[in-house]
Amino acid sequence: MTLLQIHENRGSARVAAPNEEPSVPTMNLSSDLKEVRATRDLAQALKLTMELIQDSSFPTARAWVAGGGHAAAFFPVYTPQEIAHALGLLPVSLRGGGEDLEITHADAALGSFLCSISKSTLELAITGKLDPFGAFVFPYICDVSRNLEGIFSRLRPNAVTHMLHLPQNFTSASSVPFLVAEYGRLVEKLERLAGQRLSKDALADSLQVYNRRRALLADLAALRRSEPWKLAATELNLLERLGDLVPPEVQMPVLERALREVKERQRPKRDAVRVILVGPFCEQPTHDLLSLIEEAGCYVVGDELSMLHRWMGDVPVSGDPLENLARAYIRSPVDIGVRATPMPKGVSIVARAKEAEAQGVLFLTAKFCEPALEDVVLYRKGLDDHKIPYLHLEFEEKSTSYEQSRLQIETFVESVLFD
Amino acid sequence: MVERYYLQLAEAEKAKRPVAYMLVGGNLTEIVRSFGYEVVFPEIVALNCAIKHKSLDNILQAEAQGYGLDVCGYVKNDLGLQSLGGDTPFGHIPKPDLLVCSFSGCYVYIKWWEALAETLGAPLFNFDVPYQRTEKPLKEDVEYMVAQLWDFIHLLEKQTGRSFDMAELKRVLERSRRAEELWVQYLDAGRNVPSPIEAYFEAVFYMFPINVLRGTEEAVRFYETVNQEVKVRLKEGNYPVPEEKVRLVVEGVPPYTNYRTFWDFFRKWGAVSVAATYPKVGGLFDLGFVHDPARPLESIAEYSLGAYVNQSWPLRRELIKKYVHDFQADAVLIHGIKSCRSFTAGQGDLRDWLIHETGTPTLYLESDHEDPRYFAPAQIKNRMDAFFESLEQRKSTAAAGAAAVSGVRVS
Repeated sequence: MTLLQIHENRGSARVAAPNEEPSVPTMNLSSDLKEVRATRDLAQALKLTMELIQDSSFPTARAWVAGGGHAAAFFPVYTPQEIAHALGLLPVSLRGGGEDLEITHADAALGSFLCSISKSTLELAITGKLDPFGAFVFPYICDVSRNLEGIFSRLRPNAVTHMLHLPQNFTSASSVPFLVAEYGRLVEKLERLAGQRLSKDALADSLQVYNRRRALLADLAALRRSEPWKLAATELNLLERLGDLVPPEVQMPVLERALREVKERQRPKRDAVRVILVGPFCEQPTHDLLSLIEEAGCYVVGDELSMLHRWMGDVPVSGDPLENLARAYIRSPVDIGVRATPMPKGVSIVARAKEAEAQGVLFLTAKFCEPALEDVVLYRKGLDDHKIPYLHLEFEEKSTSYEQSRLQIETFVESVLFD
Repeated sequence: MVERYYLQLAEAEKAKRPVAYMLVGGNLTEIVRSFGYEVVFPEIVALNCAIKHKSLDNILQAEAQGYGLDVCGYVKNDLGLQSLGGDTPFGHIPKPDLLVCSFSGCYVYIKWWEALAETLGAPLFNFDVPYQRTEKPLKEDVEYMVAQLWDFIHLLEKQTGRSFDMAELKRVLERSRRAEELWVQYLDAGRNVPSPIEAYFEAVFYMFPINVLRGTEEAVRFYETVNQEVKVRLKEGNYPVPEEKVRLVVEGVPPYTNYRTFWDFFRKWGAVSVAATYPKVGGLFDLGFVHDPARPLESIAEYSLGAYVNQSWPLRRELIKKYVHDFQADAVLIHGIKSCRSFTAGQGDLRDWLIHETGTPTLYLESDHEDPRYFAPAQIKNRMDAFFESLEQRKSTAAAGAAAVSGVRVS
């Protein structure tokens, strides 16, 4: 049976694929996602977010589609989701299959030496978990993401697929016009799914909404940087990841309430080492691994976990909104592995560590992730020159045992604290 | 010719000739040469190191510096070699005065050139080449690239103190065009049954001028000689194997560390590559593109878009299907490598498509092009033997079936 047939059979005739996962209970939400709005406090919101992340059937997208809407899926790291939002689509960020997903089909399509997120994303598609989505956008963050689009175009021939070429030349005067044209191609495809044309006003409105969301998330990140004992890295991560699954209008009240609640929190300050996490900009470490980092004696005061929300500040809404969005991408100061570096890596990492007042750097790179792996050597040299300590850990989606990691982090923490 | 090239490179530092490092995919060799640069292609240096069984030393050196097991072997060979001083069995590789990153089909190019820029302190120019998702280049993409090429030319003028000479570039492009047409003539010889050429193992050797010496008379003369040789082979019946039993299309990068061994696994079964994708990494000239001196920068832009791994999977799939049809191939052999996600990610899906949607027998193998630790000869040979045996059986069954229909007895 071909991969395509597996997908088609499972989708239409409901013939089980070989070794298909047993069905697991899935969450059913109302189409306006009022369950998220109804959460009373941060703890409830975080619990619900965790359940949403762990439910690989994408309950929010299913609910949205059941309500008559369309959903579009975006691969990490940065994509202009404002466009989908302005067209009335539900933009959802794909973040892999998590630690519970068994990979039984995707290995055959992708080969042995590839990252977990590419395999789990394809597995989700083959086993029908991505059926609610009518569009798939893969940015050129690496060759694997780029190639996935070609596989998806075969697997889901009736869906919209787009490989988004984000420029890597940030100094040419032609980069912005090129990106506007590239966004234009994406707009045309998403318009087909949405059944309507994109209006400038709608896009300007969406830019405003996304500006507000970025500002709220920036406030939360700033709070964590200044008083990390009040907001755990896992909590901020969940608040950010809620936005991967629900519209900003649904996420923002949760963020506003979280900001108020966290400011009021009375938690003791620990004798922990302030670190920044570098490397996990695409594939995500498990929640347990993130928890472990703080349990083992670190305060995570900067990370690359949800760069989508930190790629730019306010995007101007007057004038041509599509051009404004393109210009904001080109002019972004973000310096991570999936973007050609505007300054030497060693200089960049030291500046980032100093800005976050970090005492050390934790490299947390996904297995087989070349954009992250290749930077580590240059970063390390810069850190060595400035005597900033660091530790490098590798992870995969299906990591389950962290004893070795715990030991390494605890040793690192001790070496920093008692140096 | 290769020796002469490396000899010239080795003398570049002493002679104070400027040196540019470039990548094969989408390279800008004509422009750079027109400013008097010597050009180093670290990918080609790396594959030469691998063929000479020297890549592992360089790779281990890079790993000692912190480059992990999962980093591309080309990158590690180059960075390790740089760190060891740049001496190879085929000559000394000079340091760069300029790094030209043609970002065409491989994301690692960006990371690799950043590492070189930071380590060696040479200025870096990023030539951003959009991914090719349509059969014909898009106007906006070409405009974007031409604008970048002008930026690049201004940078070269500043670096060298020389003025750009458009007439000279056109002359160079004319020589490129001639070499490209002759190269396609060579590749087309694979359509003959039996094929007088080995379109993978042999063509890999003959790729050197089209990628490295494009724009020179030397490259033109080389392909004239090669085509003359092919004519003689056809006339004399001198073929890559004594009896051509299997005609293959090969997809993927060869395992350079075990080149001869891998080739022997083909020859044992009378298997000949009649078309292959890898010799097109520098450009798909066989699809009709050649440099056009009348549209110099536009055609350089279109050339850069046309690197094989800069093509989307739907385009790659259709190209391989076309090769199978046009070159009357019996099967496809895919060689995936650990190092190169650009080539490899999706080759399993390609196998699935070829087998189930085009009915083409296909074998998928994995090893590496640079790192001998990932080449398992016994395992690869077993799989190839089983594949070729089943193909042989399939052919004889088909022949017996055809004979039965026509009433002819097959012994």
